[in-house]
Amino acid sequence: MSADVKTNLKRLLACLGLGVVLALMIGDQEGNQTDFGFAFKAAVFHPRILIFLGIGVLLYLAMTFRPRVAPYLTRAGVRPLAAGTASVVASYGLLNWSDSGNLTNGKLSTLAHGARDTSGISVIGRLFFGSAVPGLYWILFVLAIALAAAAIIVQKSALAWGAAGLSVLAGVWGFVAHEMVRSYLHSPDHSTGAFVALLGYATIASASVTVARTSGSEAATGAFLDRIFGWKPGFPLFVIGTAAALLGTFWASWFSPTDKNTSVFGMSDLFHGYPINGLTSAYLGWLVWVLLVASVVVAGAATWLQHKLLGWASVLVGAVALLISLLSMHNFSRIAADQKFDGAVQAWQNIGTGAWTLCAAFTVLAGAGWMVARKPVDAAADPVSPRPIGSDSLVSPGKSFAFTQAMLVVVLAGALFYPPTATGFWQTVLVTEIGTYVLLAVGLNVVVGWAGLLDLGFIAFYAIGSYTTAYLTDTLPVKPPHWLHLSPLMAIPFAIAICLVAGVALGFPTLRLRGDYLAIVTLGFGEIIRIVAINAKSITNGAQGAFGIPQPVVHLGPLHLKWGQDPLQYWYLLLVFIIVVVMLFRRLENSRLGRAWAAVREDEVAAQATGVNTVRVKLLAFAIGASTSGLAGVFFASQIGYINPDNFVLNNSILVVAYVVFGGMGSLSGAIAGAAVLTWLPEFLKAQVPAEDRQMWIGAVILLMMIFRPAGLLPAKRRAAELSGLDKVYSAETAAVPAGEGM
Amino acid sequence: MRTRPLAKVAALGVVGALALTGCGSSNNSSKGGLSSGGGGNATSYTIAFEGPLSGDNAQLGINEYNGAQLAIAEANKDSSLGFKVKLSKSDDQGDPAKAPAAAASIIQDDTVMGVVGPSFSGATKAVAAKFGAAGISIVNPSASAGDIQTLGFKTWHRIFPNDNAEGPAGADWIAKHAKKVFVINDLSAYGAGVSASVASQLKKDGDTVITQGVDAKTTDYGPISQQVVNSGAKAVWYGGYDAQAALFAKALAAAGFKGIRISGNGVKSSVFTTGAGAAGHGWYFTCGCQDATVAPSAKSFTAAYTAMFNTPPSTYSPEAYDATNILIQAIKAAKAAGSVTRSTVNDQVNKTDYTGITGQISFGTDGDLPPGKGTVNLFIDQGGNIKSLGDITQAK
Amino acid sequence: MTDFLNFLIAGLTRGSIYALIALGYTLVYGVLQLINFAHSEVFMSGAFGSLIIVQSVIGRGVHHLPWYGVTGVLLLGLTSGALIGAIVAWGLERVAYRPLRKRGAPKLAFLISAIGMSFFLSQLAGKLFNRFSDNNFPTYYNVNKHLFDIRGVHISLIQTIMIVSAVVMMLFLDTLVTHTKLGKSIRGVAEDAQTAALMGINIDKTISRTFIIGGALGGAAGFLFGSAFTVYNTMGFIPGVKAFAAAVLGGIGNIRGAMLGGLLLGVVESLVPTAPWVGGHTWIGTQWTDVVAFVVLVLVLMFRPTGILGERLGRAA
Repeated sequence: MSADVKTNLKRLLACLGLGVVLALMIGDQEGNQTDFGFAFKAAVFHPRILIFLGIGVLLYLAMTFRPRVAPYLTRAGVRPLAAGTASVVASYGLLNWSDSGNLTNGKLSTLAHGARDTSGISVIGRLFFGSAVPGLYWILFVLAIALAAAAIIVQKSALAWGAAGLSVLAGVWGFVAHEMVRSYLHSPDHSTGAFVALLGYATIASASVTVARTSGSEAATGAFLDRIFGWKPGFPLFVIGTAAALLGTFWASWFSPTDKNTSVFGMSDLFHGYPINGLTSAYLGWLVWVLLVASVVVAGAATWLQHKLLGWASVLVGAVALLISLLSMHNFSRIAADQKFDGAVQAWQNIGTGAWTLCAAFTVLAGAGWMVARKPVDAAADPVSPRPIGSDSLVSPGKSFAFTQAMLVVVLAGALFYPPTATGFWQTVLVTEIGTYVLLAVGLNVVVGWAGLLDLGFIAFYAIGSYTTAYLTDTLPVKPPHWLHLSPLMAIPFAIAICLVAGVALGFPTLRLRGDYLAIVTLGFGEIIRIVAINAKSITNGAQGAFGIPQPVVHLGPLHLKWGQDPLQYWYLLLVFIIVVVMLFRRLENSRLGRAWAAVREDEVAAQATGVNTVRVKLLAFAIGASTSGLAGVFFASQIGYINPDNFVLNNSILVVAYVVFGGMGSLSGAIAGAAVLTWLPEFLKAQVPAEDRQMWIGAVILLMMIFRPAGLLPAKRRAAELSGLDKVYSAETAAVPAGEGM
Repeated sequence: MRTRPLAKVAALGVVGALALTGCGSSNNSSKGGLSSGGGGNATSYTIAFEGPLSGDNAQLGINEYNGAQLAIAEANKDSSLGFKVKLSKSDDQGDPAKAPAAAASIIQDDTVMGVVGPSFSGATKAVAAKFGAAGISIVNPSASAGDIQTLGFKTWHRIFPNDNAEGPAGADWIAKHAKKVFVINDLSAYGAGVSASVASQLKKDGDTVITQGVDAKTTDYGPISQQVVNSGAKAVWYGGYDAQAALFAKALAAAGFKGIRISGNGVKSSVFTTGAGAAGHGWYFTCGCQDATVAPSAKSFTAAYTAMFNTPPSTYSPEAYDATNILIQAIKAAKAAGSVTRSTVNDQVNKTDYTGITGQISFGTDGDLPPGKGTVNLFIDQGGNIKSLGDITQAK
Repeated sequence: MTDFLNFLIAGLTRGSIYALIALGYTLVYGVLQLINFAHSEVFMSGAFGSLIIVQSVIGRGVHHLPWYGVTGVLLLGLTSGALIGAIVAWGLERVAYRPLRKRGAPKLAFLISAIGMSFFLSQLAGKLFNRFSDNNFPTYYNVNKHLFDIRGVHISLIQTIMIVSAVVMMLFLDTLVTHTKLGKSIRGVAEDAQTAALMGINIDKTISRTFIIGGALGGAAGFLFGSAFTVYNTMGFIPGVKAFAAAVLGGIGNIRGAMLGGLLLGVVESLVPTAPWVGGHTWIGTQWTDVVAFVVLVLVLMFRPTGILGERLGRAA
């Protein structure tokens, strides 16, 4: 009994301590105070501390009563409810609801403050923003959540239907209110708060419906999703695509140079009398509708009937529609620039969300067709036939295969057509941070995730790639022979070759080393490269770095591409690199070499005993990882135009390792997701916390992820098996792996 | 089977949603054209600061940001100005690779009329062309590399003599006192650049020069100090920043070095004097700036800064203050001339003739101070206070 | 010869700090076979903790203390640094390691959680104690005073203190691990955790205690480092990396190895780039210090893949 009290006391103290730490994290900066300890005092001796202590106590209660709450947590609808709640809270609390400078600028609270008293907005909208009851949207939200939670607890379907109705109401109302503000301000905006809230409420509503329709007390969401996606492959994509197409045509803006903001219906009028070409004129007049209907109908038929030929037809129609759309978009935006529309400077500018959404919709519909067309082949290759050990691939057998494929299509459509609608800042971030580090993480994943070699000097190859580019483009003090002046893209093979050699050169002397010894040696290698770059002034221009690395150009027959200042251009180039590398690596993963890596990673001695040439295999891992890093270096150098040794510090190497492990070691999608999330997060936090504190929050996020999900965001299946036992993972493939075996 | 795919979906969903939202959550779109500053006769304009506000070099950025904040606060108190100025900040961590994103967030805000920063030469080289393309005027308070003016940036300006001016002036002074000089740099772009120009001028002056580098992250300057003593050099130049110089000063004193110790603008700050304590007494500094204890405007600046931020102004705070004021004056002039746009503000900045607390400032066609403009002064740490010894060419 | 001895002393001073931190790495590696990447933050916490305590006891500024006053401040600083370091290391183990251990996480997950913890702690410290590198201990001893000065070979007070405390602490740790019951249990867990558990050793407690001991050493090193140089929130990073290299150099998991590796690395860094025997000229140059250090490390590891004294988990030597 007394031991029980003691544990409880300890737990309470820990929770209170956590509350204090939270208070410190959110509290004031010390800055440069002469009063040492100001920040501590300001955070702790302030009434606000009570809130944080309260959070601690709540946490304690949650932990204490966890056994009694736990059965409810496995019930149907709990997880979607949580996800929906998180989205709505994020939308209401963190995200921008408007980014026009006029009325208000920013989050819902500020927008609501201005909008509820603005007479130009209809009373329905103002009511939502709280003209009668301040903070009505929060009240609606809490009510919906409370109802849904109550429904889950007492299993009353009436309550659940109520929650569903309420959340549909709240979501749609919020969206409509936001649209009212938008049309009142009459300006395009990039804010996504309303859209996310709508999605969140949709999730809550579907959770409530699930609660209403389920009688058992155990959720089976996984099986449910598999059923949905496995039912008619491609059909969910068809639904998504159709919804996006409708959204893109009936709701969003198509073209918005200064003072003109036109939906698809107004496009014909806008360009009436301007010299747009025949195709564009037809497109804006009637062709867009024909294409829309055709691709929806064909994709619908193909996915419903699961007809292979129809599937191919859908791919064809989608592709043609996409092509025509892009051609027309290029034409009318170029004409607008030629005709000196206010704010239009060059082609592709000012195209609104609607047009891009429609493009994404065509892609998704074509993808739906593709899934149907390819289905029988994959189904034959499918499930129970044993797959090689070490296959951590994105694609898993069974119904979730369909789910993965669908996700791939959606992600691809998003990667292609979301960036043009983002702001310049996010486009830049997408290129300089997210994309570049995704490429690096994919490369390091080979070394760390697959071959199990801890490399803390990975950024060195990035540096080598960058400096190779600088050398070949004649921007270093040491000049290449005159016949070897290259444009940056031509430097790629050289950079890759040099990095391959460097990877082998690093790998060779260090192959005898294992684990942590290897880590410190690679770390040293990274530092050596950086210090050489600083000190070898006559070769690398030292700390001043190389300036003026030209931007990429492509002259390929009739094709002339030139990259400039626009981040979008670089994004598409980077996307090509990433897709090519990922496709190559996916093949590699399940190849003989990939399996050899897995063997070496799990047990080097055993691998050697079974005839794996461990030296060769490890060297290959180093070399392949290094060359990917070199490719990223080439891209980086020519995109930014200026490099210096500061870009290649040890911290970056450590961060890339963190991205790979955070995402899920050994899983390609994990590495990509990890890098994307952790490079996106600091930029997102710019608007949320003081700049100085961002790294602290990122540290906390990494820590929490490792504590609660040690295998990472999207773990490779074998790793998942190591952690949670084999019965939870799909197939027999993992049975060969001893549970609990570390790296 | 039950939980895994679900968790995947949830993770993807949340990530996707957040990414979507995050991407949209940044501020004004440059395409909008409805924001208040774009019009030309608005009542509020923004000046942006770009520099390191987090990471290893955050201190310099914060010094500068504070200086800019003070200038903005004073301008907004002045009712005769006719408009309000806002200060926005954008963190580039002093890292050239992070600078483009920081610059993009400044460029897409239509109300921004000018930029103070970027603090570092590397970041400046990475983004000055972007600002140039957007037509935003850059007034640079601290990027001192001697080659930026040669790179053809259209809207770039710098308010103090660069390394190639400051270094040789310091070298000539050293050469008057010592024939064997130990030149140390911190391997940063600034330290290495200024030290190289010091060393080459010293060689021209016929001195024996020993050059060594010590990484800026070093804390133990024992070996290098011992080396200075052993070399028999009569003077030592340190090219780098204040905190490291303070450590070096202490190690040098402990090793028993008795010769001349001199450093550049990056060291002349209270961080050095308090950090080095007695070991810093007698250190010389070169600086292309006025004496803060003589100029009355500088005195009031020091007082106001100390009152506002609870700490005395430090490296580059006065420069950032001046840079911000130059932009405010340019906006004022543009407003008086009829229209405030990014390009008219830049035109006015080009015409600047401004006397600030760091000296008299105007810009040549390359954006730098005109040749011969901007005297380099010599300072000394006298019992913990930094005192001016006047023009370095005249100083003893 | 004079020059050589002076550089040797400078190198030994630098090496002592490396050795003190390396002991913490090695101890933890011994029982968990993990690099405790957040150990550098333990070091930083010790420095800040002792700074605050010393400052509140004797006040800021310059003090002219008699010898017993200096000794008193030293003892106060060492104990407070050790105490804070121990507390932080204990918390670190509870938060960043134990939950992962309970879940049987892969080894790299530990590394990353430690890196996350390291980011978090150093930035939180920056937020709480300011991010500027100008936090200095009050001057409580004459920094320039040479304790010995024999024909040009001199050694200052702080150098003596560092070298002596490093040696004392190593001896203390050595005795603790070889001769006490706690040491026995540490060695037992290091050797074979499961068997040790069967023998009645509480693994959790032993690991906790290992962290506490390592943390105390790191915290004390933080005080010494802080009072010799300066205190700031990222101060642990570079010494941490170097100490990690030193631990590997000597043979990770090996206490005497860590000591040897630390001192050796310090001496190499001091002597090789400057090469006092070449005379007044510089040889390689201090800008290559880190390159020299890592090249030596690689060379040693190529011939002795487990460090100079070999990898011996949880044993003295």
